[in-house]
Amino acid sequence: MGTILVIAEIQNGKVREASLELVSFARRLAGAGYGEVKSLVIGSGVHGAAEELAKQGGGEVLLADGPAFANYNVGAFAQAVRAAVAAARPSLLLLSNTPVGWDVAPRIAAALDGAFVSDCFNLELEGGKLVCHRRVFNGKLDARVAPLAEPVVATVQPGATPAFNGTADGKVTKLEVSLGELKSKFVATRIAEKKGVDLSKAEIIVSGGRGVGAPEKFPEVIQPLADALGGAMGASRPVVDAGWLPHEYQVGSSGQVVTPKLYIAAGISGAIQHLVGMKNSNFIIAINKDADAPIFEVANLGVVGDLFEIVPALTKAVKEAKGQA
Amino acid sequence: MKIMVCLKQVPHQDARLDVRADGTWIQEDNIKFEINSYDTYGLEEALRMKDAAGSGEVIVVSIGPDRVTQSLRTALGMGADRAIHVKDPEADAADALGSAKLLAAIAKAESPDVIFTGLMSDDGNAASVGPMLAELLGIPSTTSVMKVEKANGALTVERELEGGALEVVELQRPCLLAVQTGINQVRYASLKGIMAAKKKPIETRSVADLGLAGKVGAAANKVKIEKIAPPPKGKGAEMVTGPTADVVGRLVSKIKELGLL
Ligand SMILES: Cc1cc2nc3c(=O)[nH]c(=O)nc-3n(C[C@H](O)[C@H](O)[C@H](O)COP(=O)(O)OP(=O)(O)OC[C@H]3O[C@@H](n4cnc5c(N)ncnc54)[C@H](O)[C@@H]3O)c2cc1C
Ligand SMILES: Nc1ncnc2c1ncn2[C@@H]1O[C@H](COP(=O)(O)O)[C@@H](O)[C@H]1O
Repeated sequence: MGTILVIAEIQNGKVREASLELVSFARRLAGAGYGEVKSLVIGSGVHGAAEELAKQGGGEVLLADGPAFANYNVGAFAQAVRAAVAAARPSLLLLSNTPVGWDVAPRIAAALDGAFVSDCFNLELEGGKLVCHRRVFNGKLDARVAPLAEPVVATVQPGATPAFNGTADGKVTKLEVSLGELKSKFVATRIAEKKGVDLSKAEIIVSGGRGVGAPEKFPEVIQPLADALGGAMGASRPVVDAGWLPHEYQVGSSGQVVTPKLYIAAGISGAIQHLVGMKNSNFIIAINKDADAPIFEVANLGVVGDLFEIVPALTKAVKEAKGQA
Repeated sequence: MKIMVCLKQVPHQDARLDVRADGTWIQEDNIKFEINSYDTYGLEEALRMKDAAGSGEVIVVSIGPDRVTQSLRTALGMGADRAIHVKDPEADAADALGSAKLLAAIAKAESPDVIFTGLMSDDGNAASVGPMLAELLGIPSTTSVMKVEKANGALTVERELEGGALEVVELQRPCLLAVQTGINQVRYASLKGIMAAKKKPIETRSVADLGLAGKVGAAANKVKIEKIAPPPKGKGAEMVTGPTADVVGRLVSKIKELGLL
């Protein structure tokens, strides 16, 4: 126990929502007696964001500001964290499980020879000891993990808790970082071009997952239901990875985020990366042969059964209801 | 061009997940195993890189019990040249940092130009070992890799960010790439490949062979899984049961109620 260092991320000049969620966890642990909260902001021309964070519960905010930090670079980022660790001597470092967090956090843990726990949805003190809760097997099981050494480096699932929205007195302290040789460099970011289906506009989406089993089953089983309902077809990532459908059909954190009036998920287990893409749909129907599939936790109506039986029967019934059969 | 590919063998994606008696992991007896999905993509990318270079060697490395031999054979059948199996109960008990230390010892001995790992494993979902291994070796790394191009000794890769954004990164070699699924279409082992694999070597190493006795394993771990359990059930969905006709009838009336039919 001791100092908690929140490693914030800056996006478009502002502190990311996920970083304010880290502040929530840090404040909660501090309130339970873990220690003091400090933060680190890394970027170029981000003094304003650091000031904001200092007012939003970040405590003393160490600021690594310089042109070298204008774009994310794993080596530069890690060196800023090392400098902050030398200054603040934290026993717990918190990062978000984002493309930045999962890229740099394990390196930091290895460099500090510390305990690393990734993608936690909860961190708490129990009998004075830190315990971390995370999911394993793509959300099918929960694990309770105890760090056995310090410092502890933990990444936290975005959305695991609301952002901290209190005020607290903090201050910004400039951090000097001497950058050694960087062995990788940022070249550019780009947005993959969107073509074809824009699922974000569909009122009804029928998505198929790995459980659909074969590429030809999409036009044979999933698309007909989407057509009967006058909706669009979607998919989970493994379907796209296998080349069964192009990327524009993918729903989830690395695909499209959709909020249709009706989302039907067939043969999709409900991994968090899929759920973040569809859980805010107005109404969700899940069809899965595994009664314990996590998708049933976010669904409004659930059917435990074989999609190859349920989906065609539903397609027929919908057509009949529309007087098309 | 020497390429090292880290392969983890994990429970088959459709395996039954029952918590074992001590409550700290799943029951692994009598279930099927397979190569971690992310790692099949890493292996494929390595094989393509070797082919493009026209020469070189692809070495697959796995830490795990006897059963891992089968995954290594599969990898050799797909075209890997050589396999190293870290076979030692102490190694099996290692946490992510311990695994990274074992793989680092092998990488130091082999000096590969490029190391491929998966972004994460399908069982523990830790997404830790790759970047840790790179840090221990002092080489650059990047994660969620969706495209790899070689130019002037360096590698230019695309990594996946959120919501369809990509980041282009250039890395000096040697480097480590933790690949995302879908980066390529993975080949199957051909019959010819499987026959040829029978003659390819699988070397074994113990923790002591790697100079890490006492430094890796249960006693050296920095994290411990105390318990695993199915997630607590929330309110959950209203479950519709009964014969298919009734189930479908209920769904249709709900869709009508929503004003969508
Ligand atoms: C950084 C990152 C980003 C990711 N981005 C995304 C993303 O954008 N979108 C996404 O979807 N995933 C994403 N993933 C992958 C995610 O972790 C899961 O692997 C994926 O969502 C699983 O897809 P699935 O549910 O189709 O497959 P599985 O998890 O394998 O589930 C298949 C389901 O089908 C059921 N089933 C099988 N046969 C039948 C049948 N006959 N009838 C009924 N049910 C059946 C099974 O019971 C099982 O529940 C991402 C992962 C990472 C690490
Ligand atoms: N036991 C192992 N043997 C070989 N490689 C491993 C092992 N565990 C993890 N890895 C590699 O590290 C990657 C990330 O795994 P993890 O950190 O466990 O999620 C995997 O995709 C593998 O490439």
